[in-house]
This record gives sequence, structure tokens and C-alpha cells, in this order.
Amino acid sequence: MSETERIAASTHSEKVLAGKYLTFALGKEQYGIGILKVREIIGVMEITVVPHTPHYVKGVINLRGRVIPVLDLRLKFGMEAKKYNERTCVIVVDLLGSAGPVQVGMLVDSVSEVVNVGEQEIEPPPSFGGSEASGADILGMAKVKGAVIILLDVDQVIGIDRLEGSLV
Amino acid sequence: MAKADLALPDFLDNMALKILMVEPGDLSVVGELLELVEQMLTSPVIKAFPGLVKTGRLFVIVLQKMIMGELPDDNENYERLGQCISLMQDVVRTEGRGDEKIFEQAVGVFAQTGLVIDPEFLDADQSDEGGDSQKPASASLQTDESESGGEVAAGSPGALQFEGLPDFLKDRDLLGGFIDEAFEHLEGIEVNILELEQNPDDLEIINNIFRPFHTIKGVSGFLNLKVINKLAHTTENLLDDVRNNRRKMDSDVIDIVLSVGDQLRVMVQNIRDILEKGMDHYIEFDISEYVEQIRNIQEGKKTAGSLRRRAAGPSTVAELKAQPTPFDTPGETEPDKNTGALRPTGREDAPASTKSAVGASIKVDIEKLDGLVNAVGELVIMQAMVRQNPMIIGLYDPKLNRDFAQLSRITTELQRTAMSMRMVPIRQTFQKMIRLVRDLSKKSGKVVDLIMTGEETEIDRNMVDSIYDPLVHMIRNSIDHGVQVPAEREKIGKPAVGVVNLRAYQKGGHIMIEIEDDGQGLNSEKIRKKAIERGLIQEGDALSDHELNNLIFIPGFSTADKITDVSGRGVGMDVVKKGVEKLRGKVEVLSQSGKGSQFIIRLPLTLAIIDGIIVRVGSERYIIPTIAIKESMRPKREFYNTVHGRGEALLIRETLIPIIRLYELFGVESTYTDPCEAIVVVVESEGRQRALMVDELLGKQEVVIKSLGGYMKEIPGVAGGTILGDGRVGLILDLAGIIGSSNTVRVEEERVVRNA
Repeated sequence: MSETERIAASTHSEKVLAGKYLTFALGKEQYGIGILKVREIIGVMEITVVPHTPHYVKGVINLRGRVIPVLDLRLKFGMEAKKYNERTCVIVVDLLGSAGPVQVGMLVDSVSEVVNVGEQEIEPPPSFGGSEASGADILGMAKVKGAVIILLDVDQVIGIDRLEGSLV
Repeated sequence: MAKADLALPDFLDNMALKILMVEPGDLSVVGELLELVEQMLTSPVIKAFPGLVKTGRLFVIVLQKMIMGELPDDNENYERLGQCISLMQDVVRTEGRGDEKIFEQAVGVFAQTGLVIDPEFLDADQSDEGGDSQKPASASLQTDESESGGEVAAGSPGALQFEGLPDFLKDRDLLGGFIDEAFEHLEGIEVNILELEQNPDDLEIINNIFRPFHTIKGVSGFLNLKVINKLAHTTENLLDDVRNNRRKMDSDVIDIVLSVGDQLRVMVQNIRDILEKGMDHYIEFDISEYVEQIRNIQEGKKTAGSLRRRAAGPSTVAELKAQPTPFDTPGETEPDKNTGALRPTGREDAPASTKSAVGASIKVDIEKLDGLVNAVGELVIMQAMVRQNPMIIGLYDPKLNRDFAQLSRITTELQRTAMSMRMVPIRQTFQKMIRLVRDLSKKSGKVVDLIMTGEETEIDRNMVDSIYDPLVHMIRNSIDHGVQVPAEREKIGKPAVGVVNLRAYQKGGHIMIEIEDDGQGLNSEKIRKKAIERGLIQEGDALSDHELNNLIFIPGFSTADKITDVSGRGVGMDVVKKGVEKLRGKVEVLSQSGKGSQFIIRLPLTLAIIDGIIVRVGSERYIIPTIAIKESMRPKREFYNTVHGRGEALLIRETLIPIIRLYELFGVESTYTDPCEAIVVVVESEGRQRALMVDELLGKQEVVIKSLGGYMKEIPGVAGGTILGDGRVGLILDLAGIIGSSNTVRVEEERVVRNA
């Protein structure tokens, strides 16, 4: 229960956008996700394919005795697939599914750093019109040290409920 | 568990299940219902349905009145509640259609009870949570005993004062301990009582009932829970008489002890509610009737009037006020002998004799247990990986080998123990059914024998609670609608005593629970008619009786024909099905008109260990439950047949078995595409045989089924995952699903075979 509460709290705290973000690279862009969402970062390991799942769900891995699903964020965002290398990482995030806390791994090109983003550095998301990673997925754009970081709403990106629905 | 996460339909389903189970007089269920509605009302989703919110609040009021005894808790009222739930279910099912009308309909349902609701107060903002317990005050009740009218409502618990409860909050830990303990004792009492009914003269059992009452009395006195203390004390006195042979143990005593047990449970639950949710949940209990009845029994008078009906007579107000609250300040402590007596007062020998037989046990948080199981699993895998490290393999050291062997013995033992901790025998759940059957048969005037087998079958701890409600519903169904009354049974040449069989056993990687009665069975014709009425099937549809019978599980099927026939209280068997399906199980009914029906629940061993054969398909490995495997072979060319170019089959010992190419089904690259080069594993599920085509058999292993995580459930053909020896995840196949998804070609194949 405390676990659930903790994750729920982190979900709410994202409404306040300023804070610490873990940044990672995907193609040429830098993305950031709220640090409280991140459980851990692991290197890419062998993934077991699960049939009848959306194409961006790469399968499941063993996270210390727990079986968790792994998504390829590139595929999820409609980017071209890339061969995994030693810089490829799985960011394990905590989400709140309908049946309680859920851990999901996200494959990214590489993990960069943790940055502190102030409220004044964040701009609202520009509207791109209809593409996959637009609108609800993006919390805002942060300008830190001259670079632009796209702040993602992990719950929306992974869309746990939508995913649950699509599998039935 | 995480009840706050429940969706609206889940709340309603749970409520529906509760209402099915509730027995007049069993206020603990009413309390649970109340909790559910209140939780539902706080869920954000419900805000979209204003009518539903109002109906929910109405529901709360009715429940509170029933708890207070202002409305009788009889079958009619439960039926009304059931109708109300099914109205709400309809609204949710149709995503809000009829929401604007539902409240009026619900008011109509309760109109006969004399309940008059002032609609305005229901519109009041819900943020006024603190006033919840005051609500009944604003709705006035116009019952036949009009003199009690608004007065009773005004005396409802909201008016009570709690300034003087210093001990209560200070003793939170102690109180929490008491609650758990009390529940255990009450459970023990019930089991023992029912046993006593079989052997009324067994002094040991009487002692086993006496002791927990004694303990409850002692501790509640110590904690200043006066009402509980008084009730336990009075009951204890009665039992003491029995123990000392001053009176006989007869059905009067058994009945009163059982209902006192129920009442105590409600009261203890209420204390828990108060602890968890605050004072608002305080309920005043009136135990005078129990006390009086016990006195009557002690004095040898025949019991006057049933306890189960509480009269909301005019005297109630006065009594309510006069009653000491459970949290009264110390001072005039009435039960003299036991103030501050936590230990038995030398009246009874230490209960060691019974304890030793049961074995000591401790309670462990489920999360910790899961953590332990996971850690042990990892330990086993790491050990294997260390052992297979080439450097280690290179060291031919006999001592190292011996140590490794020893280490693996220890880890295996550890794993086995950790696993078994999560499994519990189904016995406890079954034992609760004894009481149910007893009560039901008594009330309906039927004589029913409950025969239980396989109580030692172990099921996953997490399933125990979830399986209870569906089980109760089906037993109810069997007794209410299945078994006939003795006279009727004799007329058709059946023994007067009906038999309900409750069985549990393990089969094919599943746990089976069967409820079989020898009653009248389902009337397929009637079901067909109703199904046509409801538009579920067409007039000309050719359905077998079996298919027809299983229509009773369709949502909305029995709601049509309320309170009669197949349904009980306006909510149908679909809640059972849902309950079972939540456990990823299945339920079906077999019935022969006139001979009886049999409900079969099939549950997976979700978290249990299964024996599996690991197979390889391309680079993937899958686990096939060993129990489903008939044989495996490399097929010979002459036994291979294709059928119409659509399906393919193998002729194995005169039987044509369809082939399923696993790599095709799962979309993976395989090494072989020719069945005669690959290996086929012949499996059987639900009486159907299939040959699964795989590349290689890798070995046999006991594996732990793990769920693929919250949102990867319901993948056709996959029952779960497991961690294999090298740390990777392997998928466990769900054969029923696999066969089901490749089922379309089956009928045709078999037809061809017959022609050939």
C-alpha cells in the first residue's frame, strides 16, 4: 500500500513541473522524465519476446526475480529502430496501473544526466498537430544550459490503460 | 488490498456479491456493503453520474438504517438493495444511460419500506464528509410504528459525544492487536460450534468455545470495551453452565452462541473502522436482546421471538441513550471479576493442550513474503550461474563440487519452503460453508448434507479471499434453487436428505472446485425461452443443453426475472463468473434436469509452482505444463496428413491430432518448418488433443509462474512467465488459449476424418 501511495504521490507531483529530471537521448533529441518516476537504470539485457503485443513492446525481462515489460521508446515514438549497443539503457519506471503499481522498462539510446529544471526554464509544449509524441505526452520544453529538453509525462507516454485495453 | 483503485463496475460487482451473500441478521456483511458504497462514492469516476451519486447516498442511508435496526434487515429489504444495485449496474454498463432516472427508480424501490427522502439533502455537497453519520437524521422514517418516527433518527450516533475517550486512542496498538485476535477467536468459535453440533457431549470442544469467549471478555474489559465485554461475559456464563453440566448443549444454545459470535464480529469490525477511519464510523450497538435471550435460556424459558429481527420499537431511544458506550470512561465497571485481567483468571487451565495440536504460526506481511520468494528465486539462479562459470568449471576440485552440491541442496530446500508459504489449504474456506449450509437449510426447511472432499488441496493465499464470495453464491444457488424440500424429494423417489458435494482437487495444472447438488437441475427450456426474450439467442439457434445452461453466466441474463427462478436477488450468476475470471479461472455448469446440477470452477495455479517441459522454438523458450503432455516425438512422414490445405494433422495410434505450429502462432523464427524434422509435443487440454510443433526439448524443470506484470495479462496462449536457469524469462504456455485460438479449423478436420 505504501508503495502505491508513493507512486501516486509522484504522479501528482508532476503537476508542479520544476524539479529534477533524468535526461536521456533518443535520436538527436534529449528527453527528460521526472526523477521520482525512475526506479533504476540497467543495461540492455536479453529480452523475451511476447506474442500478440504492439510492435513497440519488445517483450519482458527479469528484473531481480520480477518479470517486467520493456518498450522501445524509439518505436513508440515512430522513430527508426536502432541496433542496441553498450550505451543502450533500460530505464525502469514506476507507474500506477489499474491493478496497482506497475514497473515498466523503457529502452533509450543512452542516459545522460540528472538536471535540475527551474520553473522559469520551462515552456509549454508547442503544438505540432497530431503526431504521436505531441500534446498530452509532453509536459513542456525545458531550456537548460542552452540545450532543449523535452519533458515527458511517462504515464501518458506508456499509456498503461491504453496498452491494457489494446491487449485484450 | 488496493480497493481505492477499483473501477466503478468492480465496486458494483463486489456489492452485488455481498448482497447475494447477506443473511438476515448478518450485519457484518451489511457493514462491508456500507464500506464499499462509501468508497465508491469517493471515487472520482462516479462524479460523471449525478444520478448514481444520489442513488449511492440513498443506498448508504438505507444501510445505515438497517444497521441501526430502524429498517428490518429482512429478505425483502435485501432484495430491494439488490434491485438498486442492478439499477446502478445498468447505468454503468450503458455508460450513463438512464442516469437521470435512476434516482427516482431507486426511491421507488425503497418506497414500500416507508422511507421518505428529502431530495434536497442528497444534493448537498459531498465535501461535507464529516457530516456523513448525521445523514440519517435528515431523512425521516415513517414506519408503522410511527411513534418511533423521527425520534429514532434523531438519536442516531452522530449525536454521541466522544470527548471522554482518552484510553481509546492511547491504546491504539493494543486495540489493533485485540481486533486481530478477536477475529481469530470468533472464527475458532464458529468452527468449534459446528463441530459440537455433531458431537454435543464432547467436553473438549465446549472448552474450546468457552476459552475464546473468556479471552475476549478479559481483554475487552481491560480495554474498556464495555458492550463487547458484557456480551462476551454473558455468553461465557451460559457456556460455563454447559461446561459444568448445569444444562445441556442444545440447539438453542448453539443458535445463540452463533449469533452472538456474529454480533461480536460486527462490533469488533466497527472498532477497526473507527481506528482506521475515525469517529464518524462509530455505531451504537444494542445487545440487550442477546443478553435477555441468554438469560431466558439460562432460566429455562423458551426463546421468545427470533433474535434476527430487531424491533425498532419505541423503547429503542431510551435504551440507546442508557446503554454504556463501548468506550465509556472507567468507573462503574460492571463485570467485576475481570477488570484488568488479560490472563485467564485461574478459572481455566492453560489452553496449551489445543495449541500444540494446531502448531504455532505467525503472521507475515504478504509483501515481505513475495520479496523473500523473489530473492530466493534469484539466489537459485545466481548459484547456477556461478557454477556454470567457465573458470569454476575448470577447477576440478572435489571439495568444491561437494560444497556446490550441498549449497544447491540448501537453496532448493529454501526455495521449496518459501514457495509453500504462499499456499494454504482450502480447508478454512470450506469450513465456512458448513455454517452457510446449516443456516440456509434451516431457513428453507430443507435437509441438506454437505459433503466436503479435498479440503487439504492447497490454493494460493491470494485466491482464498477472492474465491469465497463466488463459492457462497453457488452453494446458495444449489440449496435455494437446486435441492427440493424433503416432501417433494420423496415424491419423486429421492432420499429426503439432499446432498451438496463440495470438492477441491488439482487437475491438469488447475485447481478444480466443484459444487454438486442432487436437486432439480436447471430447466434448459425455461432458460432458452428467457434467452430468446432477452435477445441473447435466436429462435432457431441450435444450442445444446450444456450451452443453454451456461447462458446463466451472461451478464444481465437473470436480472430480467428478478427474485424468482435462477436468480436470487436481482443480481445474477454473472458476478460469480466475473469473480472467477478475475482469478483467471473458468466456471461452467453441468446440469441434468431432475437429477441435479454441478458447478465446476477451474482455477489456475497462478502463483504456484508447476512442473514444466522447456521447449525451444527458434531463439525463444517456452514452458509447457508437464501435466498436459501426453507424449513427444519426431513424426514419421507417413503419419503426416494435410487437410484441404487448411490444417495439418498427425495420425498417432489411430487418432488424428491437429498440428499447431507454435512459431506461426507466436510469430517467431524457427529452426524447422517441416514437422517431420521438428519435434511435436502432444498435449491435451479440456479433452482436446493437439500436437505442438517445436524445435527442441530442453528439459524438465519446476518453475514458478510469474505474472507478466500488470498490463500483460490476457495474452492469448500465454499463462505467464518464469525465470529460467540463465536468468532469462521464459513464457509459460496456456494450452487452452492456444487450442482456442487455432480452433476454427478443427471442426472441419474432424469431419473429414470421419469421412475418410
